[in-house]
Amino acid sequence: MRATDWKRYLRRWEFLLFVCLVVVVIYNSVNVSNFLTAQNQVNLLQLSIEKAIVALIMTFVIICGEIDLSVASMMGLSASVVARLHESGWNMALAVLAALAVGLGFGVLNGFFVAKVGINSLAVTLAGYIGFRGLAEVFIEDNSIGDFPSWFTKMGQDGIIGPITFSILLFVIMAVVATVILHFSGFGRQIYAIGSNARVAVFSGVPVARTRIIIFAASGLISALAGVLYAARLGAVRASTAQGFELDIITIVLLGGVSIFGGIGSMVGVLLSILLVLNIRNGMTIAGITGNTQTGVIGLLLIFSVLIPNLAARAQGRLLRPPVDPQFQAPRVETTAQNAG
Amino acid sequence: MTASGAPWAMVGFGRTSSSGANGTQSLPAKQPRSEIRIVVDLQSDTATAGAAELPAPLLEMRAISKRFGATQALSGVSLELRRGEVHALLGENGAGKSTLIKIMTGVQSQDSGEILLEGQPIRLASSQDAQRHGIAAMYQEPMIFPDLTVAENIFIGHRNRGKIVDRRRMEREARAVLDRLGVQIEVDEPARGLTLAEQQTVEIAKAISLDVRVLIMDEPTASLSAHEVRRLFRIIDNLKEQGVAILFISHRMDEVFEISDTVTILRDGQWISTRPRAELTPRTAIRDMVGRQVVEIFQRNRNEPGDVRLKVDGLSKNGVFEDISFEIHAGEVLGFAGLVGARRTDVGLALFGIAPAERGTVALDGRPIRVTNPRQAMDLGIAYSTEDRHQLGLIMPQSIANNIVLPSLPRFLSRFGLVKQQEEDEVAETYRTLLKIRAASVDVPAAALSGGNQQKVVISKWLETHPKVLILDEPTRGIDVGAKVEVHQLIDELAGQGMAIMLISSDLPEVLAMSDRILIMREGHQMAILDQAEATQERVLAHAMGQAPELEDREARAALRTLDTLVDAGSGSSD
Amino acid sequence: MTDRLLRHIRPEQFRELILLLITIGVMLFFWTQIPNYFDPRSINRLTVGLAIPLVVAVGQMLVVLTRNIDLSVSSTVGLSAYAVGTFLGRHETSPWVAALLAIAIGVGLGAINGLLVAYGGVPAIITTLGTLALYRVLLVEISNAKTVTTNDLPEWMGGLPSKSLLTVKDYDLRLMAAVALIALIGGHLVLRFLPYGRRLYAIGSNPDAAKVAGIPAQRDVFLAFVICGGLAGLGGFLYLIRFGNITVTAAQGLELQVVAAVVVGGVSILGGQGSMFGVLLGVVLIEVMQQSLLRWSGLSEFVKDAILGLLILIAITVDAVLLVRLREAWVNTRRRDRAKTRLSLATEGAADAGD
Repeated sequence: MRATDWKRYLRRWEFLLFVCLVVVVIYNSVNVSNFLTAQNQVNLLQLSIEKAIVALIMTFVIICGEIDLSVASMMGLSASVVARLHESGWNMALAVLAALAVGLGFGVLNGFFVAKVGINSLAVTLAGYIGFRGLAEVFIEDNSIGDFPSWFTKMGQDGIIGPITFSILLFVIMAVVATVILHFSGFGRQIYAIGSNARVAVFSGVPVARTRIIIFAASGLISALAGVLYAARLGAVRASTAQGFELDIITIVLLGGVSIFGGIGSMVGVLLSILLVLNIRNGMTIAGITGNTQTGVIGLLLIFSVLIPNLAARAQGRLLRPPVDPQFQAPRVETTAQNAG
Repeated sequence: MTASGAPWAMVGFGRTSSSGANGTQSLPAKQPRSEIRIVVDLQSDTATAGAAELPAPLLEMRAISKRFGATQALSGVSLELRRGEVHALLGENGAGKSTLIKIMTGVQSQDSGEILLEGQPIRLASSQDAQRHGIAAMYQEPMIFPDLTVAENIFIGHRNRGKIVDRRRMEREARAVLDRLGVQIEVDEPARGLTLAEQQTVEIAKAISLDVRVLIMDEPTASLSAHEVRRLFRIIDNLKEQGVAILFISHRMDEVFEISDTVTILRDGQWISTRPRAELTPRTAIRDMVGRQVVEIFQRNRNEPGDVRLKVDGLSKNGVFEDISFEIHAGEVLGFAGLVGARRTDVGLALFGIAPAERGTVALDGRPIRVTNPRQAMDLGIAYSTEDRHQLGLIMPQSIANNIVLPSLPRFLSRFGLVKQQEEDEVAETYRTLLKIRAASVDVPAAALSGGNQQKVVISKWLETHPKVLILDEPTRGIDVGAKVEVHQLIDELAGQGMAIMLISSDLPEVLAMSDRILIMREGHQMAILDQAEATQERVLAHAMGQAPELEDREARAALRTLDTLVDAGSGSSD
Repeated sequence: MTDRLLRHIRPEQFRELILLLITIGVMLFFWTQIPNYFDPRSINRLTVGLAIPLVVAVGQMLVVLTRNIDLSVSSTVGLSAYAVGTFLGRHETSPWVAALLAIAIGVGLGAINGLLVAYGGVPAIITTLGTLALYRVLLVEISNAKTVTTNDLPEWMGGLPSKSLLTVKDYDLRLMAAVALIALIGGHLVLRFLPYGRRLYAIGSNPDAAKVAGIPAQRDVFLAFVICGGLAGLGGFLYLIRFGNITVTAAQGLELQVVAAVVVGGVSILGGQGSMFGVLLGVVLIEVMQQSLLRWSGLSEFVKDAILGLLILIAITVDAVLLVRLREAWVNTRRRDRAKTRLSLATEGAADAGD
């Protein structure tokens, strides 16, 4: 009984996202003549592709019952590492590898503090949020570093299949892989279990600490990758690169129907949410709303993506502990029980 | 059964609201339904006539109904509490007791029905409202603020204690309250340092320090020692004399019969009966609670045990348990009995690798093993079904199938690490049929099941790991009688198939009926292992209390009251 | 050894003592490195620099005590500074009215946070991450990218930053520092002596228990956010006094310094623990580090954010590992001390059971 309710609810959320998406797309295409062309849609995706990539891993982090506030700072740090190493004469490919290694290393460190030392991930990644940005400042101070090799900037800017850039291709592949891992693999199953109730997971032999470290390591690595891609696309790096991106990324994930408390959410919702946020931003640009104000709207979206389900649940009395199924209120055990009569 | 609900509910309403003078409001069980109404109507007339004899109720719940989603948690339940009266509320889990309490304390609000205090309708929108009206509750789980001092814990919820915290006065008064309870605790230290029983005492102090007119005690004795229960009862007597109305909820029938003046029984969210204690027998009470005759406890088919499966020698963990040694044979059920703090659960946790022991050896099928984590234990063939289904047993929002497969997930993965969902569903379906799990399908989330069915899912999930040794920790706690018998049947079948079972249970009749041998623990020490044939409630209790086995029957019986459903406090303290 | 120590001092006090020693140690280190480190000018600059983070940290602490967090404070500071600055440019008012206006703006913004967290059930981190952006955007919108400059401000404002209430041998107690000190002491008194303060500890310590104990948790948490907003508004007024020039990026990043100070000061991010003295120590340590690094040639000034992150990491690790151990030891000591009492009770109990 409740199963169908629940599924209906989930479906409803994703359906709601889909409807919103359709409305926004229609609104935008009415206002701009060539909005619905493939070229424009791809451009749209390209403009926020790094956030979309990080949103994929953030989905895992939040479903696992954790949060990673340090992703945007990590993007800035990895971009800075690439830029600084390039400037000091490193081979570009090596510099990229070094940046990815930095991301992986700090990701493992985050995971270690969360999983092994047992510190709340909010506190750990808040330290990373400040510290990684601080390291980026240490590396390139208040300079702007650019002059990357042409293959690097081309990777960031030019299409390899038609208008589709390397980043977009990578994102599509990662989205498919992420969906399969989250929804069809044993690893994904374990992430949901940990996010719902980590203690049950421990008792069920799920390698909780290892899974958490893997998730944070992946978060660091993919954020670093996104930082490198961002550097390639912009062609120049400052210490403040990607500052504030965590807002968009977390908004996308929560708007996609992932519960901030862990254990609930789907990749379909997040993917729809990515498209929705991109199109909303685009619509605002069309309407002449500045980037700053757009950020404010994203902030509002973030709050409402949690507030509205909360209010809806409260209206339905769902915040309460699930009651006993009515079907079982009168036990019928013929073998052992006689009726009172 | 469900169909019969409505008329019963109406009857209940009609009778209680008329404050039945003769008190005997239970229905003759054999009356055909159509006649019940007539009987009731007749009685309610006489009841009105004689109403003046009884004092007016202090708190009256009138026809309270509450629905959660598709579930009718309470339908038209009425209840009257009088000054200086201990009113016991009985009912199986899911009968609606906790919902009723939550409504009385303002934690939840009713869909329909009225609450009257001294005849005046009141609205309880929050727990503060309830407190303002002098309604307080104390719960089984101590609700303590570890960072506040003991004195602050007692007075934190109090209104009208002045605009500024007068620490000295507060501590003086806290000390006075605690002295009355006969405990010595430093009132100016953080409550973090208190033991579980001390925390409970602080809770009692908190409740009685409020100028309560109505005190709700929800399973207050569950984690108290015999001595503390006696002390609590003295306090309750004291409160009665002061004119406090007490609603007392307990699963221990003996306590209910000792302390209460009136007993109300709920079943399936409906009022069943309200009687003076004197007119109630345990038998009728249980019949009202379960809606059928009490069944004899399950009788096992004992078979000849096989070879030694698990051999434990000198297992010790500093400050937890000491020198535990036993063997479990294939096809044998070894019961673990003991009182509060006997540390039986900790032995289970050690064997399962959650909190490994420090010394001693464990051998499985003659080969020494060392288990340091649950995965290892499972791979070796040891499974542990926890006592706390909600916190440790099931992933509540996930489906039955997902829950059953979780511990053995690696076996359900394809080469690329993907879950073989069809196989998963088939296995889950098998357990659903085999264990009679009542659910529409295996896709139903665990949260939607009743306690008994959740327990069956927990057991299924461990059976699917194909264990050689199954540790069952309080497998029937908090589940209804029907499911309990089914679990007993299952234990019997599993033993029949050659599984070695370690049964930790605080339900003494259960341990006696199900076990081949019984190991008795007391405060981390192994007191004795009794054969089923020589084990009696009195003997087990004598060992559990650390008395000589020749303890007089009379003394044992006196203490038995508090034994049968005592909680093993060791469960939560392993970390 | 630990036993003896723990009979006299609680783990939390021990932690504060260590923090105090570290702060003194850091100051002594920089004293050996930087000439004239303790001269009146440096000290005065330090106390003025402390004022803004301290005022904001006092409010932040109340929120963190309840197991919440307010990241939006920096935007509140910026917004109230800008709004009051603009207002003063157009209207003649007294400093008091200006200060009250700043606080009122903060209270309004804090109330929005509080409403969403306490009554809307939106986790504080999400709410304030959103409002951090939102309030900043509000500032950008109302400012039209214009800047408030010292010229816009009334004359009385010019003297305020250096106004000293008390001067001993050139060491000033500046007005700004005094305001911060009053906020700190006020916060301490609220936490220690008002039932409300004790309830904040209770809510963070055990939210479930708070609910059944009849504590109006929603209202109290709401109020904590309102106070936090109000103090951030006051921080905005101090910001205006101190800098005079307010751009749209005013006080950006201040939330990190403040949260860091609170966490380093020993206020548990899980609520229920911490003291105003600890907050003071946290703010002082971080401000000393930041100011000293600017003046010290031994390290680039760009390391200060990295050090801030490291400080938080060290603080939370120490709390998670050492403090927890100490606390366990303390509990055990306490329980052992009471064992005697319990033993006598147990004997009595056995006698009881026999009758």
